[in-house]
Amino acid sequence: MIKKLTCLIFLLILPCLITLPSSAPAQSISNEPLLTLSFEQIQKQARGTLVRWYMYGGWAHVNAWVDTYVASEMKRRYDIDLKRVPMDAGVFINKLLTEKAAGKKKGTIDLLWINGENFKNAREAGLLFGPFSGRLPRVRQNVDPDSITYDFGYPVDGYEAPYGKAQFVFEYDTARTDTVPTTIDELKQWIKNNPGRFTYPQPPDFTGSAFVRHVFYAVTGGHEQYMAGWDPDLYKTNAPLLWDWLNEITPFLWQKGQTYPRDSAFLDTLFARGEVALGMSYHPPHAQNMIIQGSYPGTVKTFVLDDGSIFNTHFTAIPFNAPNQAGAMVLADFLISVDAQLSKFRPENWGDFPALDLDRLDPADRGRFNTIDLGPATLTPEQLAPVAVPEIPAPYLEALEQDWKTHVLDK
Amino acid sequence: MSWINKGTTGLILKLSPLMLPYLVLFCGGVFLTVCQSAGIFTPLPHAGRALDAYGLILSDPSFFASFGFSLGVALISAAGSVIAGTFLAYRVWQLPAKLANAALVYKIPLILPHISVAFVVLIFWSQSGILASLAHQLGLIQAMHQFPNVLYSGWGLGMILAYTLKGTPFAMLLVMALLVRFDVRQIQTAAMLGASGLRIFFTIVMPRLAPALHSSFIILFLYSFGAFDIPFVLSESRPGMLSIHVYNLYFKHDLARRPEAMAILTIMFCFAVIFIIAYTKIVTRLENTVRKL
Repeated sequence: MIKKLTCLIFLLILPCLITLPSSAPAQSISNEPLLTLSFEQIQKQARGTLVRWYMYGGWAHVNAWVDTYVASEMKRRYDIDLKRVPMDAGVFINKLLTEKAAGKKKGTIDLLWINGENFKNAREAGLLFGPFSGRLPRVRQNVDPDSITYDFGYPVDGYEAPYGKAQFVFEYDTARTDTVPTTIDELKQWIKNNPGRFTYPQPPDFTGSAFVRHVFYAVTGGHEQYMAGWDPDLYKTNAPLLWDWLNEITPFLWQKGQTYPRDSAFLDTLFARGEVALGMSYHPPHAQNMIIQGSYPGTVKTFVLDDGSIFNTHFTAIPFNAPNQAGAMVLADFLISVDAQLSKFRPENWGDFPALDLDRLDPADRGRFNTIDLGPATLTPEQLAPVAVPEIPAPYLEALEQDWKTHVLDK
Repeated sequence: MSWINKGTTGLILKLSPLMLPYLVLFCGGVFLTVCQSAGIFTPLPHAGRALDAYGLILSDPSFFASFGFSLGVALISAAGSVIAGTFLAYRVWQLPAKLANAALVYKIPLILPHISVAFVVLIFWSQSGILASLAHQLGLIQAMHQFPNVLYSGWGLGMILAYTLKGTPFAMLLVMALLVRFDVRQIQTAAMLGASGLRIFFTIVMPRLAPALHSSFIILFLYSFGAFDIPFVLSESRPGMLSIHVYNLYFKHDLARRPEAMAILTIMFCFAVIFIIAYTKIVTRLENTVRKL
């Protein structure tokens, strides 16, 4: 009997021992031997290798652009094979966490498409390789260093290379809606005048959460006060203004605010079917992309509110256990090149805004960017720049998403 | 005594190719979940005390709202599936042999993944869906939006529909397996002695089916209590299903909140274990009383 019990206990304990994480807590890696090499040497080392790029896979046009343009250029210029692996950022962060806990020195991911909370999570858990972006010649040459100091208020410190820029826009169909609000106050009135015709994706969805931050900025006196970092007292004084605003419009939302679209794709469907009159996206060319795809009618246009429109930079980063860090650096460098950024900027490819500083380019290259026709639905960089406001530091974002549930959803 | 021990060890050794993966993956997973819920082995060093995450969750009224809602959806859909499954199985069993073969179509939802069933419900029942346009075409409603708002009623009707659709054939399958071995002469005897159809069903057939009813109810109930796929497509924002809440905490929030996600999972797991134990105890007691009578 005792033997039997011992046997059983052993069998129960065994898996626990096997699953025990083997390594110590997070620590950032520095003095990487790779980072002492010149970029020419890194390029040479990367020749003939395979780079696995893990990225959000929900946009068919972006996938197509990576699989065709980026893959063929990487092969032609650097003799590097590119394999795109579709995966949500939250999922690959968890994959890396597991690999780190299991002490796996050689992973499967070479490059990540990342920013914001996921970058903060990855840095805090010591999941990233670097600092590497200062070693990339095109970052040094083409990018304004001030534009990549912070990512959602979290210091980048060279652990990410810039990849593109996004800014928040609203969408409407000129065939259905004549006039659109131009300020947050007008938006509130518009929602009340058009009950059931407006909603926003449920935070923590990326887009819905960004919409809530716009209102937060607008009803509490602008973004500047939050840029210094997390201030619990300031948050405590200001947040109720936001909840009041949101609760005031709730009864006039789609489904009377009883339920919210789960994500921005759901909102896109509601907008396309005409159930709501206003759409929203964190990507200025989104409406144009949907028109090209045939999901939206050609009469859809975009607009921004005068109170401000949040922009952010999205980045690429390299995991601590990337099997091909040299290849990943070459790809990250290529992505910020003039050619790649220009190709990405074309609306038929993606329309994503360049992360380059156009003033640093020679006039010929700058001209190439200026001649691109973004399509009738997309606002020009000149229209977007005056209202652009930066993203909020991540602790505010986390608090807003959590408290939205308490003060708006569960109220 | 020693030969018994030898036999047990031998048996365990022989079973180990099956047992080991199960133990490593399942028990290891549960072990890690419980640890992380207490702030041990978390991705970020845990600042507070071991049971902080539980305190946070149990002091949040919305957690109990979600818990109760998940419970309600699971209970109604499992009970509905078992009742409908039993009734249909009994009817199919009574059909003449030729028709009984045709009735095998009931197995189709069994092979459909849960997520497809969720989409079927979405396409049929939404206010811009197939049933709404059918009702509109037939002139039953004047405009599409007059169709009852089934999916966003706040009662989880969409999920209940999907789970019942998926669960009914499962219950049917288990019940049919018992029915095919059922001795028809018992029913014929009862009928000859003047028992009504209802009486035959409840006094003679039902008790024989009890094991299938209980096991299908437990399986369906616990599955719909914790599953993720159908709520992901059909759940409403409020009250949310627990599985969606955990998913959001795990994938979409700060890593520092990992213990909260794991604590909810641990609570759900404990609930499932307690439920199974309590349910089987109650069933055994009930059956014993019935036998004594």
